[in-house]
Amino acid sequence: MAALLEVQGLSVHFGGLAAVKNVTFNLEQGERLGMIGPNGAGKTTLFNLLTGQLKPTSGKVVFKGQDITHKAVYARTQLGMARSFQITSLFPNETVMTNALIALQGTRGGRYRIWGAFIRDRGLQSVAQEMLESIDLWDKREEVVVSLAYGEQRKLEMGLSLASEPELLLLDEPSCGLTPTESADITERIRALGKKITVLMIAHDMDLVFGVAERIILLHFGEISVEGTCDEVRANQTVKDIYMGSHKASTAGG
Amino acid sequence: MATQVRPAELFVGRLMRKAVAAPPVAVERRDAAALLKAWLPAVVILLLLLVLPSVVPSYIQSLVTKMMIFALFGVSMNILWGYGGIPTFGHAAYFGFGGYVCGILIIHGGVSNFWLNLVLVMVFTALLGAGLGIPAFRVYGVGASDNPIYFLLVTLAFGELLVRVAISARSLTGGSTGMSGIPYPDLGLPITINSHSFYFLVLLIVAVCLFVIHRLVNSHYGYALRGIHDNERRMQALGYNTWLYKYTSYIIAGIFGGVAGALFAYFGGVMVPGNMGMAMTDIVFLIVILGSASVYFGPVIGAVLVVGVEYLASVYVPERWPLIMAILIVVVIMVIPQGVGVLLFDLWRRVFRGRAA
Amino acid sequence: MSTFTITTLNGVSYAFILFLLAAGFSLTFGVMGVLNLAHGALYVLGAYFGLAIISQLDQFWLGVVVAAAGTGLIGLGIYFFFLRHLYGKVPEQAVLTIGLGYAFANIILWIWGPFAKMGLTPQMFTGVVRIGDLAFPIYRLVVVAVGVVVLIFLWWMQDKTRVGAIIRAGMDNKEMTRSLGINYGLVSALVFLFGAALAGFAGIMGTPILGAYPSMGDALLLLTLMVVVVGGTGYIQGTMLGALIIGLLDTFGKAYVPSVALFTAYVIFIVVLLVRPSGLIGRKVF
Repeated sequence: MAALLEVQGLSVHFGGLAAVKNVTFNLEQGERLGMIGPNGAGKTTLFNLLTGQLKPTSGKVVFKGQDITHKAVYARTQLGMARSFQITSLFPNETVMTNALIALQGTRGGRYRIWGAFIRDRGLQSVAQEMLESIDLWDKREEVVVSLAYGEQRKLEMGLSLASEPELLLLDEPSCGLTPTESADITERIRALGKKITVLMIAHDMDLVFGVAERIILLHFGEISVEGTCDEVRANQTVKDIYMGSHKASTAGG
Repeated sequence: MATQVRPAELFVGRLMRKAVAAPPVAVERRDAAALLKAWLPAVVILLLLLVLPSVVPSYIQSLVTKMMIFALFGVSMNILWGYGGIPTFGHAAYFGFGGYVCGILIIHGGVSNFWLNLVLVMVFTALLGAGLGIPAFRVYGVGASDNPIYFLLVTLAFGELLVRVAISARSLTGGSTGMSGIPYPDLGLPITINSHSFYFLVLLIVAVCLFVIHRLVNSHYGYALRGIHDNERRMQALGYNTWLYKYTSYIIAGIFGGVAGALFAYFGGVMVPGNMGMAMTDIVFLIVILGSASVYFGPVIGAVLVVGVEYLASVYVPERWPLIMAILIVVVIMVIPQGVGVLLFDLWRRVFRGRAA
Repeated sequence: MSTFTITTLNGVSYAFILFLLAAGFSLTFGVMGVLNLAHGALYVLGAYFGLAIISQLDQFWLGVVVAAAGTGLIGLGIYFFFLRHLYGKVPEQAVLTIGLGYAFANIILWIWGPFAKMGLTPQMFTGVVRIGDLAFPIYRLVVVAVGVVVLIFLWWMQDKTRVGAIIRAGMDNKEMTRSLGINYGLVSALVFLFGAALAGFAGIMGTPILGAYPSMGDALLLLTLMVVVVGGTGYIQGTMLGALIIGLLDTFGKAYVPSVALFTAYVIFIVVLLVRPSGLIGRKVF
C-alpha cells in the first residue's frame, strides 16, 4: 500500500544557502514520526514546504497518492493535511468560541454563506462545544484569546489544528514553552489521537518525542542525518554527538 | 455532557456525525428581549429619520440625505478596511464610477427607470471591481501587515487613473467640467420625485443596503473575512481560500460604493472626475476612521460628523474646506485614532447596561 | 526623423523631471517604508516658492535654492510632527499626507490664485542649440544635464558611501541598524528632508516645461506612483528606468498618437503590475 506521505528529494535554497537539502522519507498511515534536530536545522522550513507555505526549489511531495508539491496551502488542508504552529497562531482579538467556530468552518461546506448569523450556527456550535470541552476550554469560551494563559493558548492551538479532522497532522513544537505538567498533558493527548490520524511532530522535549514517536528522524543542516526507531536513535552515537550535546546547551540556556 | 471521554474520540469521526444529528446543546439562544435590545438604537434612529422632514427646514433634510449617502459609502468601504483589514485607497473610484454610470445611462443610454438603472450600476461596478481586483491583489502579500503599501498605492493609482479617463472621455463624461443635469429618479410609478420624496427613497435604499451589509459581515463569509484580517496565514492553514474572500469582498464593497455613488449623482445632479479620485477616497477614510472602523455603525457616525462639518465650513469659511478637512484628519489620526464610535459605544454600554465596557 | 529626435529630447527631459520627482518619493518610500502622499503637492509648492523669488528678485538659482530648502523644511516638519509617530501605520500615514497635500494645494490657491503659472525660462538658458537643421531648446538640455548629475550623485551615495550602506541596511533590518549604534531616527529625518527637497527642486526646474497650477499635485502623484511601480523601489536605477519608460511613452504618445497618449503609460503600468509586481529593477518583494 502506498505511503500516506511521500517526500522525495525535497530541497529549498535561499540565495546560496540550502535550508533543506534533498530530504526523502515516507510516512505510513497511522505512524507517529518525530523530527528532532538542533536549532536552525531546517525543521520548520521542512514543515513549511510540506504545508505549502514555501515552494521548494526541487523535489516532490506526494500526499495520498497526489502530487501536491505546488498546491496552495488551503488546498492541502482540504485534502486532509493540517498543522500547528510553533509560535502560537490564533485569532487574538476573538473569543475562544469564535476561534473554534472559525477553525471548524474551514473544511465544512457553508463557509461561503453570506446570510445566516455565523456565531449562532447550531451545528457548528455543538461541534465547537465538544472540541472545547475536550481541551478543557469550554468554561473560557467567551474569553478573548489574548487574555488566556500561554498554556491554554497552546492547547487551543492544537485544538484548532484538529478542527479540520485531518488525516495527517504536522505538529510544530507542541510543548514549546509549556511547564512539565502541561507538557505531560499534551503528550497524553497526542498519544490518544488514535490510528486514524498520522502524526509528524517536531520537538525538542525528548520525553515528548520518545513518549509519542515510533520512528524518529534527525535533521541536521537541512539533511536527514539519522533515521530509526526510538531505541535505535537513543543508542546512536551521531545523535548523541550532534543533538544531545546541543540539547543540553539549549535546556541550559532555556 | 460526558466527562471521562478520551479526547481523541471526540475529534475523529464522531464530530461529523454529531454535527448532523446535533441536539440543541447549551449554547446561546437569542430571546426576544435580547434581540430588541440589540436592535433598539437602530429602530429609534430609523423612526427619527422618518419623522425628521416634517420638523426641520428643507436644507437640513437635504443635509441628512447627503449624510445617509455618505454613511452607505463609508460602511461599504469598511467591509474592506474594518472587517477585512484591506487598505483600499481606490474606493472612491467605485463611488464616482457608480455615479457616472448612473448619469451616463440616463443621459446617453436612455435608461431612465431608477430600478433598472440601479441594477445596471451594480453590474458595471461589479465588473470594474472584478477587473481591477486581479492586478490589485497581485501586490497584496499574505496578511495586510506584510505589504499594505503596494496594494494601497496601486488602488490609489487606479482611482486617479479613472479620473484621467473621465477627463478624456469628454463625449461620455463631459470631460473635466463633468456631467450635469442628472434628474431626480423616475421610479416607474405614478409619483414624481422631488427633494422631499427623494429623502425617503435614499432612506429606503440606504437602510436596506446597511441591513444587507450587516448580515454579510456577521455571516460565515463575514467571519472568514475577519479571520483573514486577524491571521491570514492561519486561515489558509485552516483550509480557507483567502484570496477568494479578499477578491469577492473587494467586488462586493465596490458594488455598494457604486450604489452610494448613484444616489449621490441623483442628489446633486452633477458628477465631476474628482469624485473618483484621491480627495474623495480620503474623505471616506476620514469618515471611517473618525467614526471608528471597529464598530459597525462607526462610519455612519463619521458620515454625520464629516458632512456636518463640511456644511459648516461652506457657510463660514467657504473655499477653505480642504484646510478644515486636513485639520480634522490630523486631529483624528494623531489624537483619537480609535475613532469616536468606540467612545460612544463605551458610553452607551455604561449607561444602558450598567457595567464597565 | 527630426520630429523623432526632438520628441526624444522632449521625452528624455520630461523623464528627468519625473526622475527628480520620483527619486525623492522612492527614497522615503522604498528606503524608509514611510509614505508621503503629499509628495506631488511638495513639487507644486517648490514651483510656487521658486517662481515667487524669481518674479520678485529675478534670480533663478536663488529661486531654485529657496524652492528646495522650503519644501525640504516642510517635508522635515511632516516627518517630525506626524510620520515619525505613525511608524508602521501605513494607511494612517496615507490618509494624513493626502489631507496635507490638499491643504497645501488650498493654501497655494489662497495665496496665489487659481490661474496656472507658466515658468519663464531663465535668461541664460533661453534659446536653442542648433545641430544640423534641428533646434534643441537649451533649457531642456540643461534639465537633462542636471538630472544626470543628480542621478550620478544618488547612485554613488547608494553604492559607494557609508550613508548609502546604512540606509540599505535599515531597509532590511531597522532594529539591527539601531543596535549597531546608528541613530536611525536622525538618518530617517535627513533622508526625508532630502527627498522633500528633491521634490521642490523638481518643481522649480520643471516649471518652464510643465507649468504650475494649484491642483497639479494629484496628477504628479499618479505619475510618481507609476514610475515607482514600473521601475521598482530600493534602487535609484529602477527609478530612472521607470521615469524613462513613463516619460518617453507619454511624450511619444502625445506627439504621434494623441488620442491614446495617456493610456500607453497606464497599460504598461498595469502590465508590469501583473507580470512583475516588484518592478523592473526592484528589490524582490513579491
